[in-house]
Amino acid sequence: MVVAVVLASLLPTAVHASPIVEVSKLKGDLTISAATSLTDAFTELAKQFRKVNKGVKVRLNFGSSSTLIAQVQSGAPSDIMASADLTNLEKLVASGNVVVTPKVFARNTMAIAVKPGNPKSVRSVADLTSLSFIALCGKTVPCGVYASSVLTRAGVVIAESKVTRGIDVKATLSAVANGDADAAIVYRTDVSAAKKTVVGIDIPSAQNVKAMYGIAPIRGSKNPANAKAFIDFVLSEQGWQILKSFGFQRP
Amino acid sequence: MSTKKRRVGAETPPFVWVGASCALLFLLLPLVGLLKRVAWSGIFGAVTSGPASEALRLSLITSVVATMIALVLGLPLAWVLARIEFRGRSMVRALVMLPMVLPPVVGGVALLGAYGKSNGLIGGWLFDVFGLQLTFSPLGVVVAEAFVALPFLVMAVESGLRSIDPRFEESAATMGLGPSERFRKVTLRLLAPSLIAGVAVAWARALGEFGATITFAGNIEGRTQTTPLAVYLLLESDPEAAYALSFVLLAICVAVLVAMRGSWMGRRS
Repeated sequence: MVVAVVLASLLPTAVHASPIVEVSKLKGDLTISAATSLTDAFTELAKQFRKVNKGVKVRLNFGSSSTLIAQVQSGAPSDIMASADLTNLEKLVASGNVVVTPKVFARNTMAIAVKPGNPKSVRSVADLTSLSFIALCGKTVPCGVYASSVLTRAGVVIAESKVTRGIDVKATLSAVANGDADAAIVYRTDVSAAKKTVVGIDIPSAQNVKAMYGIAPIRGSKNPANAKAFIDFVLSEQGWQILKSFGFQRP
Repeated sequence: MSTKKRRVGAETPPFVWVGASCALLFLLLPLVGLLKRVAWSGIFGAVTSGPASEALRLSLITSVVATMIALVLGLPLAWVLARIEFRGRSMVRALVMLPMVLPPVVGGVALLGAYGKSNGLIGGWLFDVFGLQLTFSPLGVVVAEAFVALPFLVMAVESGLRSIDPRFEESAATMGLGPSERFRKVTLRLLAPSLIAGVAVAWARALGEFGATITFAGNIEGRTQTTPLAVYLLLESDPEAAYALSFVLLAICVAVLVAMRGSWMGRRS
């Protein structure tokens, strides 16, 4: 409730643009599979969506995009897929699990996370080579693929024997926040969400990547109307304001 | 044993048969599902490939070491719990069993709280004084595995010690055997079946450890990435290798159960 009130006061234009008076007639379930890096933003989006669509029971299923894609392909019931990259969504298009072209709804970048006070004085991607242990996402997880691109663009090579691989972005960041990893390369939004436990170091855009987030309804969904309504909400101005408040950028 | 030839099934109500069949089916179906997915032709190549074979090697070494630690530490603890009366014994026993019921990830978080280099209770001291860092090291994997395996060994050995008739040891004492000799020649022999069973379950538990390991020791290829961790990560990038590794783990566990049959299950029935 408090969060909602604070958000509403932060977003006067959005609230005025779409006054929440009408209550939709939508009913039933809505299962949304979303990338771990969307956890906070989608939890809030779902909360606001429910205010208008009181009849819809929203279930959020977070995981690494690659895991979620595998779940959908093996028939796990899901109405919407929101991925942290477009490559994984294209796999769903290729396998026929998505029939419409996925919509790009947000953009993210990568940042370095270190322990509070930056004890190892990390200033750049190149400084990572001098550290003992680096946390990166799994090689097939989008944040792991993006981290590899960052390292390649920066011309930095880190021995695999110094890399601990997290199963998703939150687990990867946790290796720095709660464990003994010296640094992690994760999404900028996750660094700011965890600002009590880690400190972020920006990666210059020449070395950085543009992580594009895509969303699409799943073929064979039992709740296509609900799925369409939620996707429209994410793409609406109100939805964008919520995403923006969590640090996402315009695609 | 004499009751074996009683009218078998005569008094068994039908719901028992139905329930038991369902339970068996429930347990076996996933195993059949796993076997169906294994690509048998490529299994050797999948298991001997770089990351998979490294993970298997690491798993075997760490689980054996962890089991030895569990044995060395667990046997005395089981002895104390089984044979020495003291206040708060049931409390101590409950604490010892805690890692069995604790979600393994929570166990990993707890291990970080104790042995983590940057914010563990004694982790910083271990590093400063001995240069020892458990996190992200194979030794950390051993610690995580021993932490979850130890209670299984203690439980099996404690119940074994309780079931030994004290008269055997008493008569050995009257024959002039000292405590150590008595332990070696009498107690240990009577205890052997429970000890073997305890070692086997502790080892199987150590071999399958996932949550505490990935949380505490991390997931570094060739260093802390054990077979269960490799299975989980390979499921996305190389499912065939993941199924092959799963099958190897399954085969090892079946082999352990078969080997244990004589010493544990066989003698109790």
